[in-house]
Amino acid sequence: MKDFYLIFKNLTRKPLRLFLTMFATFVAFLIYGTLTSFQVAIDSGVDLAADDRLIAVNKINFTQPLPISYVNRVKGLDNITDVTHLNWFGGYYQDPQNFMAMFAVDEQTFLTVYNEIVLSPDERQAWLNSRQGLIAGESIAKQHGWSVGDRIPISSNIFSKVDGSSSWEFDVIGIYTGTDAQTDTTSVYFHYDYFNETQSFGRDFIGFMGVRTTDPKLNEAVIKSIDDLFANTPYETETVPEKVFNKAFIEQIGNLSLILGSVVFAAFFIILVIVGNSMVLSIRERTAEIGVLKTLGFKSRRIFFMVLAESLLLALAGGMLGLLATNLTVAAFNQAPIQLPVLVVTNGIVGEATLIMVALGLVTGILPAINALRLNIITALSRQ
Amino acid sequence: MSRMLSQIWTVIVMNVRSLPQRLWMSLAAIFAVAVVVAVLLSFLAMSNGFDITLSGTGSDDVAIVTRSGSQSELNSVIGRDSVNIVSTAPGIAAMENGQPFYSAELYVVVDGRKKSSGTEVNIPMRGISATGFDLRKNVSIAEGRMFVPGTSELIVGQGVLNQFDGFELGQEVKFGKTRWTVVGVFSTGGSAFESELWADARMVQDLFNRGNSFQTIRIKLAEPGNIAGIEAMIESDPRLILDVDTESGYFATQGKALQGIVIFGWIISIVMGLGALAGALNTMYTSVASRAAEIATLRAIGFSNTSAFFGTLVESIVLSLIGGVIGALVSYSFMDGLTTATMGASFTQVVFTFELSPQLFQNGILMALAIGLIGGFFPAWRAARVPVIVAFRGSM
Repeated sequence: MKDFYLIFKNLTRKPLRLFLTMFATFVAFLIYGTLTSFQVAIDSGVDLAADDRLIAVNKINFTQPLPISYVNRVKGLDNITDVTHLNWFGGYYQDPQNFMAMFAVDEQTFLTVYNEIVLSPDERQAWLNSRQGLIAGESIAKQHGWSVGDRIPISSNIFSKVDGSSSWEFDVIGIYTGTDAQTDTTSVYFHYDYFNETQSFGRDFIGFMGVRTTDPKLNEAVIKSIDDLFANTPYETETVPEKVFNKAFIEQIGNLSLILGSVVFAAFFIILVIVGNSMVLSIRERTAEIGVLKTLGFKSRRIFFMVLAESLLLALAGGMLGLLATNLTVAAFNQAPIQLPVLVVTNGIVGEATLIMVALGLVTGILPAINALRLNIITALSRQ
Repeated sequence: MSRMLSQIWTVIVMNVRSLPQRLWMSLAAIFAVAVVVAVLLSFLAMSNGFDITLSGTGSDDVAIVTRSGSQSELNSVIGRDSVNIVSTAPGIAAMENGQPFYSAELYVVVDGRKKSSGTEVNIPMRGISATGFDLRKNVSIAEGRMFVPGTSELIVGQGVLNQFDGFELGQEVKFGKTRWTVVGVFSTGGSAFESELWADARMVQDLFNRGNSFQTIRIKLAEPGNIAGIEAMIESDPRLILDVDTESGYFATQGKALQGIVIFGWIISIVMGLGALAGALNTMYTSVASRAAEIATLRAIGFSNTSAFFGTLVESIVLSLIGGVIGALVSYSFMDGLTTATMGASFTQVVFTFELSPQLFQNGILMALAIGLIGGFFPAWRAARVPVIVAFRGSM
């Protein structure tokens, strides 16, 4: 207890320096927390992908279509629970800049294959019964201010209607949430039949299929049986586990984790130098005092741990404040009307951050602590 | 006045000369600023390179026609009849044989494999004709030869060869049931076209079941930038549901795709800059504290407090500028010229090269200067107010 009082007094003896050092640590952990939560959100597309779900796309590229007849042929294969199909609509609301992930789907099978989508039983039934109905994710609905019962026009930058216009009327029937906090709720889904009957070109084609297998262990076999089925046709397929598909999709943008990782690394490097330096300095300034403590009978070991505790406390205090601020920043991002995945400061992030704080405290404290440990009373007291 | 200046100068020289005594603290400040500047410049160089690639792609004397509202070549569809009507619009340059100078093109996406990650990515494949070649500036075959029209041969841009696997000269690629052979490599002086595969338009129509439809019309303008004639025609003919823009205008909008990166880069580096600022303040306060006796002594022998103020301020700025220059050099040597690919507005890969221009360099130096100025001001203020008595007390 007495030691703790001393440590505390030592820390706060130069409030300005304490504040500046803590602030640098604070900034680094704010950057770490925020960027890592971005990283986790980006990876969630891969992490949350169902193990037993496969994506079958046109082998040339996933932007090329497949004939709708494929769905029934895949349904006939072994080890498959259900098959659904989705078609990218290129939808945007009011302003072409407000583009969104919008798919024309086969509603019944869609809800079984993508069972992470949560709708109330009433909304579910209502959607199945309404031709022009759409369901929108919580986040996109909030962004555009849609609520159940609204009738909204949505335009497509790919398709046009038979009459030449490219604007469709929809009823908002349901707002869905996800089974996980990070389930994507920025997408919009509507009936394939409504789409297929009203659009003017490429009728009876679909974008890709979502396939649920009876057991993830059988994925390889199912993949082979699907791709073999359509080999040497004008529309060959390429089937991959959803995880693989999502990962490749993110990789198209570039190596985001490398970019985010480098920034975080740079931020930590800065504080390591700043905090480390200020620790060395503040212990050196106290050389005489440490000599006095030793003269009073404080064991070298005890002083060693006191210095280490001081640097640990410094890192933890600044870092924890940084994590606290991360929570506020993330909450602000989630509230902002911009299309971003849901950011969550996971326990993993907090745990990892705490480990880094401890490591930072040890690394910055070890050198001055060793110096204090080795300090000879005579030199300490004569070094004025 | 000149006495004041000479006093300031003396103190500055004294401070800067004594920097080595506070070596580690000074190095820490330099280092922090260097990292911040390097991070900022790297983001700016990335976005700048992307912008340069796309703005270098569009030409002012070429108009691009797409389906109304499609926003990108990929989403557009234009029937042969629309192509024929548009080609009669006023303001179109004529070819040597008197025909209107235009090229109807297709733009589809095929799979390639990114070398850096080994994952499949979207590569644009353009269906084009000889006219399309003549229409573009700087197109040349760098290796191999041009494809023979009517055959399933294709040529690849240098960027594709550089960043993606599977399109080496002589390689066979299979799209659907058709096998294509890579017979040539073309270069377009670093523009986004180098990220594409080019093949005969008719063959691409067949392969992708496009019948006799196209996706864009590139039109050589009689007068650069003047698309009024084509605009008026589209306006007046109800059969034409099309948009027209100059090619440079079209690509300039697409170059904005990485605008978010610039904003992100600035926010991150300003936040990191605040951390570095804390480091600079720490260094300078320590510097003032360690020289308190000297400062007070100077005051005692008649130096003004202004000289103490500027001495400290300049010391801080010098440290930051050294850091800024180091950061800029690091960013320049590691980032400038780095070639990579990202997803562009057309949902396809665009190969581009990081460009650290002098303009951006300036931004980095300004950032360093800001940190030095703020980081020096408050400690300098304290230095200016060190009481003379300290000189006789020995320590502070």
